[in-house]
Amino acid sequence: MAEPAALHPVQLYVYDLSKGMARRLSPVMLGEAPGPRGGGGGGPARAARRGSAHTSIIVHKDEFFFDSGGISSCAPGGTLLGPPDLVVDLGNTEVTEELFLEYLSSLGESMFRSESYNIFEHNCNTFSNEVAQFLTGRKIPSYITDLPSEVLATPFGQALRPLLDTIQIQTPGGNAFSRHNGQS
Amino acid sequence: MSESAESPVGAHTPPESSAQGSTAAEPRIIKVTVKTPKEKKEFAVPETSNVQQFKEEISKRFKSHADQLVLIFAGKILKDQDTLIQHGIHDGLTVHLVIKTQNRSQDHPAQQTHATGSTATASISSSNTSTSTSTNSNSSGLGGLGSLASLSSLGLNASNFSELQSQMQQQLMSNPEVMVQIMENPFVQSMLSSPDLMRQLIMANPQMQQLIQRNPEISHMLNNPDIMRQTLELARNPAMMQEMMRNQDRALSNLESIPGGYNALRRMYTDIQEPMLNAAQEQFGGNPFASLVSNVSSGGDIQPSRTENRDPLPNPWAPQSSSQSSTTASTSSESSGGSNIGNSTSASMRQSSAIPNLGPGLGGVMFNTPGIQSLLQQITENPQLMQNMLSAPYMRSMMQSLSQNPDLAAQMMLNNPLFAGNPQLQEQMRQQLHTYLQQMQSPDTLSAMSNSRAMQALLQIQQGLQTLATEAPGLIPGFNPGLGGFGSTGVPTGSAVPSSIPSENTSLASGAIEPGHQQFVQQMLQALAGANVQQLQNPEVRFQQQLEQLNAMGFLNHEANLQALIATGGDISAAIERLLGSQPS
Repeated sequence: MAEPAALHPVQLYVYDLSKGMARRLSPVMLGEAPGPRGGGGGGPARAARRGSAHTSIIVHKDEFFFDSGGISSCAPGGTLLGPPDLVVDLGNTEVTEELFLEYLSSLGESMFRSESYNIFEHNCNTFSNEVAQFLTGRKIPSYITDLPSEVLATPFGQALRPLLDTIQIQTPGGNAFSRHNGQS
Repeated sequence: MSESAESPVGAHTPPESSAQGSTAAEPRIIKVTVKTPKEKKEFAVPETSNVQQFKEEISKRFKSHADQLVLIFAGKILKDQDTLIQHGIHDGLTVHLVIKTQNRSQDHPAQQTHATGSTATASISSSNTSTSTSTNSNSSGLGGLGSLASLSSLGLNASNFSELQSQMQQQLMSNPEVMVQIMENPFVQSMLSSPDLMRQLIMANPQMQQLIQRNPEISHMLNNPDIMRQTLELARNPAMMQEMMRNQDRALSNLESIPGGYNALRRMYTDIQEPMLNAAQEQFGGNPFASLVSNVSSGGDIQPSRTENRDPLPNPWAPQSSSQSSTTASTSSESSGGSNIGNSTSASMRQSSAIPNLGPGLGGVMFNTPGIQSLLQQITENPQLMQNMLSAPYMRSMMQSLSQNPDLAAQMMLNNPLFAGNPQLQEQMRQQLHTYLQQMQSPDTLSAMSNSRAMQALLQIQQGLQTLATEAPGLIPGFNPGLGGFGSTGVPTGSAVPSSIPSENTSLASGAIEPGHQQFVQQMLQALAGANVQQLQNPEVRFQQQLEQLNAMGFLNHEANLQALIATGGDISAAIERLLGSQPS
């Protein structure tokens, strides 16, 4: 008698913030040997590896992401970054929109408040990972989540760290997520 | 995912199976982590249990009703009649939990306090406008109460606090004498002399933030301590300001007569200056240069004349557009070239000094005694006013920067002429300050402030103390009018600790100070504050490196170095200048 629950597709949008510049600059800055690295995905994936990728979760026809302004949402592809450079399909979820919004509200009050944003340890990718696991049980591709440690492992990264810690990235085009009255 | 859950789990089974022996099934106990957005707990349940039983376990430990729980695993919502095995939940895996809150009405006040407690930098203009609309809706109530009557006697007829601010601003700006007086005020000067505070105040304005995103040069300029410092010094010296303005006007008119320069100017204006001016002045009325643009645009097709434009630019100091003279306080020092940067600098500096003038505006009014008293009275009567005051964006940012920088706040307090002759009081202030600021920031305080009954209760306590003090002075050592002073300076920073409001009345009457009482009050304050002290960054730690450098260079006076560094925001060369300037020759 189990009625099939509605399945909602979940996707991950990856934006290459540097549009390729990171690819050229990072061997110089991070001291890595240039040349082909294992793994595919092209530009955005490498951007993720070079530490300049922004990710967001698309579900229920909305885009959700985390930046220094807290959890925000907008229409898919509606941030100032434009359309995504890479789309990763994460599968489907049974979680209804209402339930999901409640979950996001709790997240916004606990783990993902605006002041808890840290560009290395607790950033948009952390959020995307968390939400992806909640929705589908799967994590986002590891090369995205591992990049902070990669950058920090280099002496350059460590030198820059105090400066970068204070950088607050705010993606224009989103609306702050508020609990009451739901979200359009 | 394999459904046959015979995975090598088993360290738990031997004791159980040996103990139970003949039970038909050997339910292995598996450890499953249940994770909510806020916390996670581990549960040991039999492998074969179904979701219903699992939920009952969970509801006990999460203190919710089983109906409120929604379990999610691998993207699927777990229904009561399912079993854990069916979904592939094995030992060591994590299940997500969402606890449905039944009543939404409970969330609204929580969200409201959250909104008021949220940091100003995170606040988006929409939330600001919603706050202001709520204040507008209350304005009729406020007017009905006849509140702010005292202030209207000063010629201000504001119905809510942000209007009040802007009106004060206008009045002040229209009277340059008052400006000068305010600038002389040491309270103001100390605030102005901190580039950190200025920067924070500026950044906290949401329109500024938007502008900064669109024009990153602005943020570079704001972050450059040299420019900030020079501008602040400019702001203090009105004669220099006027001269800068004149230079800039002349440079502008020269630019205009360059072929093609006119168009460049116009572009510059529309791209950068206009939005900034609008942002800075939307509260204060129109844009003084708007008429210029409209006049010109009508004749915009005309070739720019080759002769120098001799018409004077519209007078920003004109009394009817009084508030725009707040823009006079701008002009960057580096704009002598009349370049792009110069213009945007000036425009932004208008913004920057619009803000400190609000501070002195507050300070100026607050030192006016009858005004304070009735204002305080109205505050206690009408908690909404308090809340509006507290959530006014400038207030918020000021408080925030104060709390982050207790030294600055202490300095501000100390320079206050009320405390000038009284080192003892200063000491007390310093000690209390930290707790006080923490307290101000906590949303509990905010909600307590807006709860009129709570405020009245606190008032009663204070009155009781007062009576006690007069009747049985031996019992509680004296009554401390220092509290009153504390109250009156507390008001400029947002609100007094409510217990000190009525004490303000007595403080003006009496004059003696009894330190013994201080301890009692401090205890009270700490009890109120709830001891939630964050670790604030000590400027000494922040400037560690610069201090070492200064020492290496031969500046051995640690105190002076530290002060110089604080005043210049960590800029070593500027600090050195300061130190050299203050050393006796």
